[in-house]
Amino acid sequence: MRRFSDFLILFTVLVAMIGLFGLLRDTFWSVPTLGNIANRIPALALVATGMTVVMITGGIDLSVGSVLGLCGATVGVMMADWQWGLPLAVLGSIGVGTAIGGTTGALSVKLQLPSFIVSLGMLEMARGLSFLTTNSQTKYIGAAVETLGAPLGGWVISPAFVISLLIVVAGQVVLSQMAVGRYWIAIGANREAALISGVPVNRPRILAHALLGSLTGLAAVFNCSRLGSADPNAGVGFELSAIAAVVVGGTSLMGGYGSIMKSFMGVLIIATLEAGLIQIGASEPMKRVVTGAVIVAAVLADTWRRK
Amino acid sequence: MKKLLLIAACLLAACKPADPSNASGKPKVALVMKSLANEFFQTMAEGAKQHQAAHATDYDLVVSGIKNETDLVEQVALVEQMVAQNVQAIVIAPADSKALVTVLKRAKDAGLLVINIDNKLDATTLQQAGLVVPFVGPDNRAGAKAVGEVLAKKIKAGDEVAIIEGVTTAFNAQQRKAGFEDAMNAAGIKIVSSQSGQWEMEKANGVAAGIVAAHPNVKALLCANDNMALGAAAAVQAAGKAGQMQIIGFDNIAALKPLLADGRVLATADQHGDQLAVFGIEAALNALKDKSAPVDQQTPVHVITK
Repeated sequence: MRRFSDFLILFTVLVAMIGLFGLLRDTFWSVPTLGNIANRIPALALVATGMTVVMITGGIDLSVGSVLGLCGATVGVMMADWQWGLPLAVLGSIGVGTAIGGTTGALSVKLQLPSFIVSLGMLEMARGLSFLTTNSQTKYIGAAVETLGAPLGGWVISPAFVISLLIVVAGQVVLSQMAVGRYWIAIGANREAALISGVPVNRPRILAHALLGSLTGLAAVFNCSRLGSADPNAGVGFELSAIAAVVVGGTSLMGGYGSIMKSFMGVLIIATLEAGLIQIGASEPMKRVVTGAVIVAAVLADTWRRK
Repeated sequence: MKKLLLIAACLLAACKPADPSNASGKPKVALVMKSLANEFFQTMAEGAKQHQAAHATDYDLVVSGIKNETDLVEQVALVEQMVAQNVQAIVIAPADSKALVTVLKRAKDAGLLVINIDNKLDATTLQQAGLVVPFVGPDNRAGAKAVGEVLAKKIKAGDEVAIIEGVTTAFNAQQRKAGFEDAMNAAGIKIVSSQSGQWEMEKANGVAAGIVAAHPNVKALLCANDNMALGAAAAVQAAGKAGQMQIIGFDNIAALKPLLADGRVLATADQHGDQLAVFGIEAALNALKDKSAPVDQQTPVHVITK
């Protein structure tokens, strides 16, 4: 039950944070605040899910923030300029994300390049393409895109939140119950050993990157639907939030170990921290100092526990 | 291999700038921008290019920008490159109001004319460096105050409002915040929170949602740019407060039009972004022509409500 007690530590951190912010600001323990947090996390939850898988295989993808921007730009151009419907835009966005993620994966696997470098190149290219496709202009889309981000039937939770939660759970099942999940872990733990034991090492890695790309595409749709617009500058620095959430959740940067459910706890911790700091009116420098400190503290706590 | 080298050589040749000290005697003006990825600076650069195309016989124009609005090192390098290219004048939107002063002093010492647009260089720093650089541009503080006054008429003294600031280290962000404060203080309206949305829609959305939850009586959100106003409008809608709160922005970007039209956003300011670089270029050309020293010049800002 070691895994469950790891989960419990993160849960305790989360509850402590919610408690602390509630004491500092009486509006924090309220339905609107929890709704805010819930409806703001789908994008980060999806990307953290994909990032967990990529990091378990021993890779990393730094381009997700730019890809989020480019996929959002795709949604913006399709819906605002071409007047296409939401289903096509969803397909377009996921298509673009999958293509870029798949390319990153294929290049790093087939040419044996570090995914760190390939995705760094992709980070630049995707941002450039995002500006090119939108001509650097914010696109206002309006009601057509808002259905996924709006509260379900007058309730506080949006369809985006529900879908992302389902994907997180499905991702964990794939990781811990299915063959491909075992391959990912084996490849990350020791690629040579995996190869010798007959585990396919190339395709699962490419698949992991493509999966992250497609989840980033869906994340972009969710962000656009919450904002009603597409911002070509969206997602700058987002890769760091995603990696922070995954690392807070205890996934190893070296690969071979990790949990999607725990990454989701990392997402909740980061989102709660962000919302709480806004509500207590912390200054910008304080927000950064505190966020950084919490990330380091969470990783330290996790490392100590496992020693 | 030979082929590759040949291609590389061709590429290099293509990248090489045209001979700067051109025979025609046309002055060459360098426009050094902040991020060309930003719609606002993109518009500004486009306006400058159109102006040059219409006055192609009068001057040549080199437009360059940095990747990221806070990348000072890259902008310093750009200024150095422009000096090396022997341009006659540099029209610059500095990424930082202090950090660019040293390199601009070097440019001026090398005999170049320097004109400051968009983000005003810090007066004290200029004085310390012994540099005089004329500023041609809008008064962001007065512009923000004017938009704030439109809002002040819609709400009443004692009401609560919040400001969503730009990047806190940027001079124009500070000026807009000060302008909003001027208008609110004059009308006796209470500012209960002022936080940075980093000029970005999604970040501003999170900040706006948090402020609305933490201060249920807030009547208006004053956003230092339109992208953040779009994010704030989405947050107000999600909180079920559409129609009960006012939002103002700054910049008058195209994407804001539908929101101005149906009242989700009350007003914004138009500082005629497409002309901002042109004003600076014209000041530079006039000074080059009659060998005079250009002086500070204020460009117009208009309040837009539909």
